[in-house]
Amino acid sequence: MTAEKTDAIVLRAVGWSETSLIVTLLTRDFGKVSALAKGARRPKSPFEAALDLLCRCRIVFLPKSGDVLDLLTEAKLMRQFRNRTQRLKNLYAAYYVAELLRELIDHGQPQADVYHLADETLLKLEQDAQVDGVLLQFEMSLLKLLGHQPSMTRCVGCDTPLLDEGPVHFGLLVSGVLCDRCVAGQRQVIRMRGESRKIFTLLSEESDWESGWLTIPDLVRGECRAIIQRYLTVHFDRQWQLHRYLEDLAR
Amino acid sequence: MNEISKSVTELIQQLGRLPGVGRKSAERLAYHLLRVHESEANALAEAIVAVRKNVRYCSSCYNLSEGPLCGICADPSRDSSRLCVVEQPRDLMALEQAGVYRGLYHVLLGRISPLDGIGPEQLTIEKLVDRVRVGNFSEVIMATNPNVEGDGTSLHISNQLAEYPVEITRLARGVTSGSILEYTNREVLADALTGRQKL
Ligand SMILES: [Zn+2]
Ligand SMILES: [Zn+2]
Repeated sequence: MTAEKTDAIVLRAVGWSETSLIVTLLTRDFGKVSALAKGARRPKSPFEAALDLLCRCRIVFLPKSGDVLDLLTEAKLMRQFRNRTQRLKNLYAAYYVAELLRELIDHGQPQADVYHLADETLLKLEQDAQVDGVLLQFEMSLLKLLGHQPSMTRCVGCDTPLLDEGPVHFGLLVSGVLCDRCVAGQRQVIRMRGESRKIFTLLSEESDWESGWLTIPDLVRGECRAIIQRYLTVHFDRQWQLHRYLEDLAR
Repeated sequence: MNEISKSVTELIQQLGRLPGVGRKSAERLAYHLLRVHESEANALAEAIVAVRKNVRYCSSCYNLSEGPLCGICADPSRDSSRLCVVEQPRDLMALEQAGVYRGLYHVLLGRISPLDGIGPEQLTIEKLVDRVRVGNFSEVIMATNPNVEGDGTSLHISNQLAEYPVEITRLARGVTSGSILEYTNREVLADALTGRQKL
């Protein structure tokens, strides 16, 4: 096996033995990589501080086939996550970014766009107070890149464009808005304000998320967060650990 | 492995569960214990039983202790106006070995690690807040590990303690004594500049 070089974000690092770590990385060129970092817990580690959670680093690893973990041979720190806001919410939002990536990205697929999105999101979370908006934009962009974007403009039942700007039905199981006719008999349907749908529509149409970070109006911020969290829970059929932490802080 | 002896197999299995001990080392240790004098092997077995029977967490600070209170909490000469918060008893031991701190400690027994399912309620944070509320501490020193989760744990705790009249500090971090500035990485230099001290 030849050594591979790429950029990576540390999504998890757990002790494997007294001296080594198992790290889960989001890489630019190989999707998610789980690798053994021998000697990473020694006082004079060859990886220094590059394997702390949320660090961006340049790595060299030896891919192994089958169930065997890849072997990390080098990791050079490029950027640490530095919570300049000193707010817990920014930190937990960054953990949440790591949780989504850890669970939704597969091994082996090149993910340059996702890597770029994650890197920019972490940079933003280091200093920005608008955590809800940053997260919403991250979640929607990630869903789009992974092909799980909910439909916000056309009824998912009959494909009719929903032009009314008032409240709409949103089907969590069917991944999108529903017209009054198609909503009958559907389970897991919630009401969404017109203003919230406008935000989601903007976020899903935005072809280039880099053109800017959206500020979510106070009026619908809570509703938008509640909807996206429920959607992620129902659509992927799992509880997200960090939802609870973010909700506790919102109280 | 063919059945050597049920007892030997069991011993190898138990040893192999220890941190840093692989299959090969476990076998080597097991055969060593079979070769040494019986009294030596028994002494090890008794030490393991005794440590589990006698050692518990200090009821005040969660340091390891043989009585209800650990040696530090029970020592009247310690400065009871300062409280140093650490993640694990071994961090406390390291700080004690540095020999410059005479205050009290609080051991969290871990750090907040939401991605691994460890929340504040699994640590001794509630007890820490109680101690600060009823105690006469003027300073709480955060000595969690200098990494993302350690810093996050400190941040959570300092939020919890914000309503009490205590000064909250954290360990200085930065350039190692005896190192060379130009070879120090920029993150460490940034920390050193931020945490600079009066000369
Ligand atoms: Zn319809
Ligand atoms: Zn004690």
